Amino acid sequence: MSLLDRIFEKQARQVAQQSSRRGMLKKLGGALVGAAAVPLLPVARADNHAAPAKPVEEGDDTSCDYWRYCAIDGFLCSCCGGSANTCPPGTEMSPVTWIGTCHNPADGRNYVISYNDCCGKSGCGACLCMRDEGDRPPYRPDKTNDINWCLGTSSASYHCSTAVVVGVAFEE
Amino acid sequence: MSMLKKLMVGGALAVSVGALADEVPPPLPVEPVGIIESLPARYPADWFLIQDGAFFHMSDGKVIVIDPTQEGVGDQVKGMFNVSLMGNIMQAPGRGEIYATETFHSRGTRGPRIDVLSIWDMENLSAVGEVILPQGKRFMGMPAREVMHLLNNDKWLAIFNLSPATSVTLVDLDTREIVSEVPTPGCSHIYPAGDMAFTSVCADGRFTTTHLTADGEVKERTRSDVFFDSDETPIFERPAIIDGMAYFPSFKGMLYPVDLSGDVAVPQEPWSIAGDIEGEWAASGIRISDEDSSGAMYLLMNPEAANTDGKHNEGGPEVWVFDPGTQTLLRRIALQEWGLSIAVSRGPDPKMLVTNPVDMSVELYDATTGDFIRKLSDIGQETPLYLYPAL
Repeated sequence: MSLLDRIFEKQARQVAQQSSRRGMLKKLGGALVGAAAVPLLPVARADNHAAPAKPVEEGDDTSCDYWRYCAIDGFLCSCCGGSANTCPPGTEMSPVTWIGTCHNPADGRNYVISYNDCCGKSGCGACLCMRDEGDRPPYRPDKTNDINWCLGTSSASYHCSTAVVVGVAFEE
Repeated sequence: MSMLKKLMVGGALAVSVGALADEVPPPLPVEPVGIIESLPARYPADWFLIQDGAFFHMSDGKVIVIDPTQEGVGDQVKGMFNVSLMGNIMQAPGRGEIYATETFHSRGTRGPRIDVLSIWDMENLSAVGEVILPQGKRFMGMPAREVMHLLNNDKWLAIFNLSPATSVTLVDLDTREIVSEVPTPGCSHIYPAGDMAFTSVCADGRFTTTHLTADGEVKERTRSDVFFDSDETPIFERPAIIDGMAYFPSFKGMLYPVDLSGDVAVPQEPWSIAGDIEGEWAASGIRISDEDSSGAMYLLMNPEAANTDGKHNEGGPEVWVFDPGTQTLLRRIALQEWGLSIAVSRGPDPKMLVTNPVDMSVELYDATTGDFIRKLSDIGQETPLYLYPAL
């Protein structure tokens, strides 16, 4: 679900005024927006011939700055008993989502990220994060984070959001 | 205090009062119990409705009816009603009712789900009726005024669905029954288009107007030309609408006038909101636009948003007031701190209410002069995401 980090905490406003971090991310996001596509379509699955023996990513997945969260807007499941790609105990992962395209600085690739919400409990309340890069209004349901994505779940109650890697984005 | 103590204190007071009988006023009369207040059938022009989405516990959302022109909370807060799970509301003063889409689970956050249209009576803020909606379809997102609309001489209520398939449910408000569900494939939201039609904005960058039969079925669909790119040059879905013209701000600081008065929406030439003004100004926030009775348009503006993707929901430090017909900037209102949503009251002396997200208060301004009037920070609000002028 969406919202408003700057909005709930004074620190959020400070974040928005600190153009360094956000500015960097925005430039990055601006370069990446458009590289994304419709869910499950322009996605290249992991290349078995890729050189590194082990995929790499870096950063703190409880931080709003974490690379996967470029288009997120909600509570980070990493702070709620889940992780960047798993739901907290006793919740239910929404099968339908919005997507973003984020750049993994550790391997230089762009990835399609699926922001599946975890549902069935009230708002986690921790680590509210709004990045919104590539977010579009609800007339683009595939790219909007301003709606409750607890759709297709038994409960409509929004708890937190994950950021699941679903593929490498095609280069334009 | 225990009952026994109360009686003892009362007895002591009675003795001392008796001793001074000639010097004290008569006791207060016994008061009736059980009196419930009510509100005027038509809310005064300076009143507002604050939609608190209860973002941290969404099933407990609420709407507070306030008169922010008063000084103390006792005179400011007029009443409240609940709206569960990121619902949406619409005032219909002509029917004396407020409509709210809501969702409930039988056991709070779990258990069987029910989606309803709740009907609140404006005078008593009582739920006087409901219509069970198709399960799991109604739009559930950030509050918006573009998701419900009256049609057919105010007899029908159109409700936007996003599941994420898009459609519109028509409800007969007289019988409180569902009339039909009209598909709007690829298109979202509801904008005015006459008494038996509505317009939606579509992912392919144009508008579709759905014309209805007397039975609430699709009679015809008309489509505008493509005029924006939803990836590269997106418009907000949240326009100001003045005299049949809708003014849609874009993420990149343009304003797209769209004539909604005919059988098909007609986009007109866009213009730059900021013109030569320094900065990367663009509209930003949740409720980013409103209009007043004189036809002026109000936009919540952010000086860094026009060329930076991702700043469109942040809000901004200024509200710009335009005569949109002549593209004239009438005034810039510098906010005390920051704004997330704005609303402007109707009538000849408009006031502007602004959500300040820094401390989650609401702030009142004179909309004509831009003067700050007061902050309201202790009226029971937690996350006042969306504001409405009383209609």
